[in-house]
Amino acid sequence: MQPPVERPYWNPYVAGFVLGLVLLTSFLVMGFGLGSSSAATRLAVGAAHLVAPAATEANAYFSQYVGPGKKILEDWLVFEVLGIFLGGLVGAYSAGRLKSEVIRGEGVSKGRRIAMAIVGGILMGFAARLARGCTSGQALTGGAILSLGSWIFMMCVFAGGYLVAPFVKRDWR
Amino acid sequence: MNVLPLYPNDVFGFPTGLLLGTLIGFAFGFVLERAGFGNAKNLAAQFYLTDTRVLKVMFSAIATACAGIGLLAGFGVLDLSLLTVPETFIGPHVVGGLLLGIGFIVSGYCPGTGVVAMASGKWDGLMSIVGVMIGSLLFGFVYGPLEGFYRSGAMGSVTIAQALGLPFPVLAAGVVLMAVGCFLGAEKLETIFAPKASRPVPASQPAVRNRAFAAMGALAVIGLVSVALPARPPAVAQTSLAKIGAVELAQKIVAAPQELWILDIRDAKSAPVTERIPGTVTLPEGSTAAKFAATLPATRTLVAYAQRDVADLPEGLRAFPGEILVLAGGFDAWKGAVLATPQPPAEPTPVLIAEFRMKSALNGYFTGAAAAPPPKLVVKAVATSAAPKKGGGC
Repeated sequence: MQPPVERPYWNPYVAGFVLGLVLLTSFLVMGFGLGSSSAATRLAVGAAHLVAPAATEANAYFSQYVGPGKKILEDWLVFEVLGIFLGGLVGAYSAGRLKSEVIRGEGVSKGRRIAMAIVGGILMGFAARLARGCTSGQALTGGAILSLGSWIFMMCVFAGGYLVAPFVKRDWR
Repeated sequence: MNVLPLYPNDVFGFPTGLLLGTLIGFAFGFVLERAGFGNAKNLAAQFYLTDTRVLKVMFSAIATACAGIGLLAGFGVLDLSLLTVPETFIGPHVVGGLLLGIGFIVSGYCPGTGVVAMASGKWDGLMSIVGVMIGSLLFGFVYGPLEGFYRSGAMGSVTIAQALGLPFPVLAAGVVLMAVGCFLGAEKLETIFAPKASRPVPASQPAVRNRAFAAMGALAVIGLVSVALPARPPAVAQTSLAKIGAVELAQKIVAAPQELWILDIRDAKSAPVTERIPGTVTLPEGSTAAKFAATLPATRTLVAYAQRDVADLPEGLRAFPGEILVLAGGFDAWKGAVLATPQPPAEPTPVLIAEFRMKSALNGYFTGAAAAPPPKLVVKAVATSAAPKKGGGC
């Protein structure tokens, strides 16, 4: 089967408007908005629980996820993120962008790029737990419902990004 | 009356919710992919101002959803009090935001877009998600010493609209205006920074852009109309507040506490509450009196009290399906009438003596005077023959 020809991206304002309607739908249907990071957390804590059940349950933070009668993956956000994956997959395939590759700036080695992705990911995973959400659960969702803390969070995300961007400029050339 | 949001109104159950969650997520992931967020270069460009796609998509989405919520809530279709507002914790939000921003530019993704990149076959996307998983575990390991900070600056679920005392649709219109202003500024910046980095300036497509602006603006303006409209039915119902006196409430607490839900509607955030009326319902952490009231069965009478008299009940409290009474004079009246030691009547008529005895008994009961027996609210015949019926009538 011939893969579909590559389609252009949507106009960002149109994409944003449609994304806003999706977010609004989530509020109207569920009463809360979108999220992502906590699905990764649940997956990680679930894996840790398989390896070391007692230690994981004894941890003051993890004990909210695991313990007697708690099913860590039976959670709305886990299913929602499964949907994100499927939606991204269908979107990428139908636009001819489904391709095994490492996105990196010119002259950046694959090794460095992968290392940066992991390091940045670790920072984000830690930050998202500290702030009780990431760009989806706090900035997007909390922003739309006008949560004070979410707006503070969002401003700080941009501030953090702009502060460090000059130091990693060569990664994105 | 307002059926939205569906899930908190028990329209469907948890398993259906999970299915709908997958569908909503599917749409979310699809749109993120079409927005170009499956590719780290498109995301990183935001921080070099060569392509501000991130700002445009994100802020358009926030403005659209915000204006939509304002519109539907303004016309009474959507119950704003049933929507989950992420709680505010100032310290964690500032530090978490900065760290996440740094992680964003270093990894090239945020947690949500990393999933989309992973689905698009990008190994760096997959690795950023692996990082997020490791980072989550790391947080758990250092949670002990961090717990104090994690809970610092707690302000509860507070919206900017509440903080400013403005109706939601007004703030939503402000967000739309601000967004459009930011977009025009960002497009200007692109024309400066993209050529400097020898990159093409992103195509402006003014016709499409203006149509998107018009759609967001329309939502905001219709929302504003709802604010300008005269009071709606709920506002009419708010005119009557049934009251109960402090002494009468005290008698009821003694005689039949099982017939009452007593709710403290004072704002615990503005002034720490140390004293409560005995029998006040303890709210689950994170809940508000209004939210909690909606979950109570209507089998008892709900008595709400604030520090003083209240002009109106908190938003959402009327979702309680049964009878609602407000303590006249609030907790101050309670202190004056029940907790303060009653003065013997200056002119000892039988009526006043009976009332004094009753109040003394209540006072002893509620101030915890050692082994104070519950007062017998059925008045025994007072020494004089003309004992009137007083004191037992609860």
